Amino acid sequence: MESLPGINDASSNQEVVNGDDEIHDLSLKKGDEWKIGVSSDNKLIVKIIHGIAEIFGTELANNKDYVFQNFKFSIFAVEDVELQWRCMELVGTNLSVQENITAKYIYNLHFALEKLRAASFDGPKIMIVGNSNTGKTSLTRTLCSYAIKYKTYQPLFVNLNPAEGIFTVPGAISATPVSDILDPQSSRWGQSMTSGATELHSKQPLVKNFGLEYIRENRELYKVVISQLAEVAMNRMQNDALVHRSGCIINTPPLEDLDDDLSELLVSFNQFKVNYIIYLGEETDENFSKIKKMFPESFLANILRIPKLSGIIPTDDIYKRSLQRSSIREYFYGTYNSVLSPYTIGVDFDDLTVWKPKNMIEDQENMEQSSPSKYTSVEINASNLQHSLVSLTYADRKENESAVQKAAILGYGLVTEVNEKRHKLRILLPVPGALPNKAMVLTSYRYLE
Amino acid sequence: MDRDQEAIVKDFTSILDELTFNSRPIITTLTKMAEENISLAQYFVDALESRVEKCVPKQKLYAFYTIDSICKNAGSPYTIYFSRNLYNLYKKAYLLVDNQVRTKLINMFKTWIQPIESTGLPIFDNVELDKIENFLIKASALHHKNFTKLLPEPTVPLLLRDIDKLTTLTNERLTKQKNSDSNDEKEIEKLNMKILVLSQLKQELQKGKLTKVALKQVQVQLLQVFAQDQQVLQERIRQEQLQQEQLQQRQRTEQLQLQQLSHHQNAAINQQFQIKNDHNPLFGNSLNLNPQGFSTLFNNSNFIPMNQNMDDNNTMGGMNLNNIIEPANISNIEKQNKLNKMHSLFESLKAEKLVFQPKEQSIITLNAKLNIDDGKLINNSGRAKSETDLTRLPSIEFLSNIISDCKAYFSTVNIDIVNTPSLNISQDFILGENKIVENNLINTLYRAKPKKCTLCGKRFGNTLDERRLQSDHLDWHFRINKRIKGSENTLSNITATNSSSNTTQKNIQSRNWYLHDSQWIIFKDKEIVSTSRSDHSENNMTVVNLDFNTNMNSQKNNNINNADRNLSGNESNKFVKIDEGLLSKKYVIVPESVEDMSFKCPVCKEIVAATYDEELGEWIWKGCMEYKGKYFHATCYYESAKNKNTSIGLELDMEKLKNLITD
Repeated sequence: MESLPGINDASSNQEVVNGDDEIHDLSLKKGDEWKIGVSSDNKLIVKIIHGIAEIFGTELANNKDYVFQNFKFSIFAVEDVELQWRCMELVGTNLSVQENITAKYIYNLHFALEKLRAASFDGPKIMIVGNSNTGKTSLTRTLCSYAIKYKTYQPLFVNLNPAEGIFTVPGAISATPVSDILDPQSSRWGQSMTSGATELHSKQPLVKNFGLEYIRENRELYKVVISQLAEVAMNRMQNDALVHRSGCIINTPPLEDLDDDLSELLVSFNQFKVNYIIYLGEETDENFSKIKKMFPESFLANILRIPKLSGIIPTDDIYKRSLQRSSIREYFYGTYNSVLSPYTIGVDFDDLTVWKPKNMIEDQENMEQSSPSKYTSVEINASNLQHSLVSLTYADRKENESAVQKAAILGYGLVTEVNEKRHKLRILLPVPGALPNKAMVLTSYRYLE
Repeated sequence: MDRDQEAIVKDFTSILDELTFNSRPIITTLTKMAEENISLAQYFVDALESRVEKCVPKQKLYAFYTIDSICKNAGSPYTIYFSRNLYNLYKKAYLLVDNQVRTKLINMFKTWIQPIESTGLPIFDNVELDKIENFLIKASALHHKNFTKLLPEPTVPLLLRDIDKLTTLTNERLTKQKNSDSNDEKEIEKLNMKILVLSQLKQELQKGKLTKVALKQVQVQLLQVFAQDQQVLQERIRQEQLQQEQLQQRQRTEQLQLQQLSHHQNAAINQQFQIKNDHNPLFGNSLNLNPQGFSTLFNNSNFIPMNQNMDDNNTMGGMNLNNIIEPANISNIEKQNKLNKMHSLFESLKAEKLVFQPKEQSIITLNAKLNIDDGKLINNSGRAKSETDLTRLPSIEFLSNIISDCKAYFSTVNIDIVNTPSLNISQDFILGENKIVENNLINTLYRAKPKKCTLCGKRFGNTLDERRLQSDHLDWHFRINKRIKGSENTLSNITATNSSSNTTQKNIQSRNWYLHDSQWIIFKDKEIVSTSRSDHSENNMTVVNLDFNTNMNSQKNNNINNADRNLSGNESNKFVKIDEGLLSKKYVIVPESVEDMSFKCPVCKEIVAATYDEELGEWIWKGCMEYKGKYFHATCYYESAKNKNTSIGLELDMEKLKNLITD
């Protein structure tokens, strides 16, 4: 890797000025991308001086400070770009700048989709699949961003990967019409609705709660939740001409997380009436031929392949965990720029009804295996609820299990304290007011502030 | 010519016809024949010239080698005969052959300009050689370097001589112009100007100590001026010939009328060029612009319609013209086209006052000034500005932005994505190289909408609708930023007057509950992204109604309110039905007479701070009401009135409240 302008002086200065926070210049050639990973302890500030740069398809404004934290991403130079950055963490390291060789495939795909949108009121419904670390989320995000650029389309972004909390908390799957630009600084893509003002337009997601960390812990439930999400999402498309025309872009969990026969994929495919499958990876991948075998001959032309994206920065479990924590924190407390005020209330044990999804792996002995998608009731005590994320449903507290299971999601709460002696617990709610008199569902996610 | 002679000429031509490869024996034979039969020189020259003209391009070089050999060995009169037509012959051949042969031709030419020992002069006529040299310089930038190397070392006297030559040439043209019936004053002025510039250049050369590099530049530029002037002259001669021919043709058969027409057009084109061409050299040199580089910039877009007409003319008359107009001329025409474009660009820029026109100064001082300009203006703007009153140009980035925007516009202006047959969703297309995507469509994501929001990077186009969208968008940013910052001013005012109040500086906001499935289905994102003020209707669908029943009836209910409020309102009062939603919507515009932007609610003793309401454009006390000159929280008033709590010594009446709310 060649040394970049500014890097050398920076590293030599660093010795003198301890832990500097000074501004460095960087120029990116047209077609280059700068791969960046910023940890949660550090901040990276980037300012585009000249040229066109984008992050996951969202163009950056020039001469504006963008702040990044706990985020792995890459800045793509659409044209020659001059930028300034400062970040203690990156000083003295080799900046990873290289050519983005997969950008043209994304452009090709985007314009092919754009033609479909222009040609019919029934927009393309595409599903993006692939192994982990192939760029599924990046591709989905880029396609969503491109789709809203030239015309005022509103593609429906569907996230079927419960490990990623995009516009919501982890453990949920969601469908969100992308009606305005995404926040390039956020690994969560932006904000869901708040009562006040956010810097960019917030999004209004539809959220369904899966609640478990891994799909393998209850594949049946996962499929049921997908179907519930799809039913409502398809209904929205029927009702909303603009979303209908724009189509939907579905992001899926890594293929490794799915069952051997990829049955989850088939459920999603059928429920969302997918027209095109985009496979990220190589022609020779075992999973690629497996997917091709799942579909009839006539559909094979609609299974398209794009090589693994060149801008991918491999992520590990630690990073994924930290993103999940960020998602939960952001849901309650907002971001640096738009601080939210959640509300803690005390509740008596008796005022709560909590259910939870079955975990088919951990609780094998205790559970009856017959109806895996059914919730079981949770005893309210510290070991079950302490620091846990609970979803609040629209179902009334006294409703039976199946009503709760089918109910829409109102939001999430966080149990911050369980006092067994006094028979009381404290819950952090995003919205001020009394605790809604609704049934709750316990998730596997814990969050300690 | 007797029979013997005829036989010799016949022999000569037949041997010449055999020269289909580089054969030394054949060339020597031919040279010998030429040496021995000097009386037939004219015939041999004719034969060779027609050979060069007619044979396939590959073999032209060998014919030239023969000419070269004959001239070098036999000398006069062959040199004289060949000199007459050498330039045209050489030029035509050069344009038809490939680069390899071109280099050989150039190498051969290099030997020609070396003076022969016996005479001290080159073998051919100097004028003709100069023409070829100029042609070669202009013909290819590639060979440019070779030729500057080839030129004699520039010295001041040498250049002065060149300038003198050019001055006389220009003077000649000036007198011609004055004598001619079309006494074009502009033309004369231009020529005068040129003479002036030349004399200034001469002065500068005489006094100035210039570096060799600078001298070299001057030399090359002078050569270019020469070449251009010569072209003008040539064009003039050719035009005269054309006119003569036309006269003859006019008397000929009807069949030729078509051809004639094309001549006519051609003549017209030529004339046009000529007019333009006359001021081009001056312009080209004094401003030191590179016309070719500039016009390639606009090559793709073709936005000067005149140019297309020209091209049409050329192709239309193409077949007929070929007899008269050689390929070289067509390339000339193209060159002229570019110059014309450049010129009209220059004129339009000048009309817009975007061109800095220096006062009459010599080229060299001007150039020096322009060069130091960049550095000095930035480092020491004050002094440099007083020295030269140059207007500062916008930054290169700014200018290149404009150019890129233009390019993007023209590359997308006629693109209709539905009618792009090559565009389809298939494996081949996605992994293939697609020119339409790379060159055209990609711009729709960026510069086709040239106006980029400085706050979020969102792009807007140039149409009326897009402009309105942009201004709405900016308005929205403004309002949002104001709201994010909160009503800090008023709040700090309160803390100054009342230290007990610890209100946070920013407006408090929190995450909303998610919508119910059935609400989400009918929700339109327009409600979020709408930027116009009127769309912020009271009937806000973005907020959840917690008492929402799974049946859709309450959707119609106009009072979907914040969840918490409805939750707390579960004990509805029996006396007077007053909608709590209406209460919360009550507000009081802060009266101008009030000094303090806050008041204390008499019921709950809480300090109420004013907030700014965008829709109203007024400072208001939200959720408050006024009664008999006192201000209350509307809900406090309501609660108190409901409980008939008169302990605070206020007259609170439900009926009055009802009136207050409904009015």
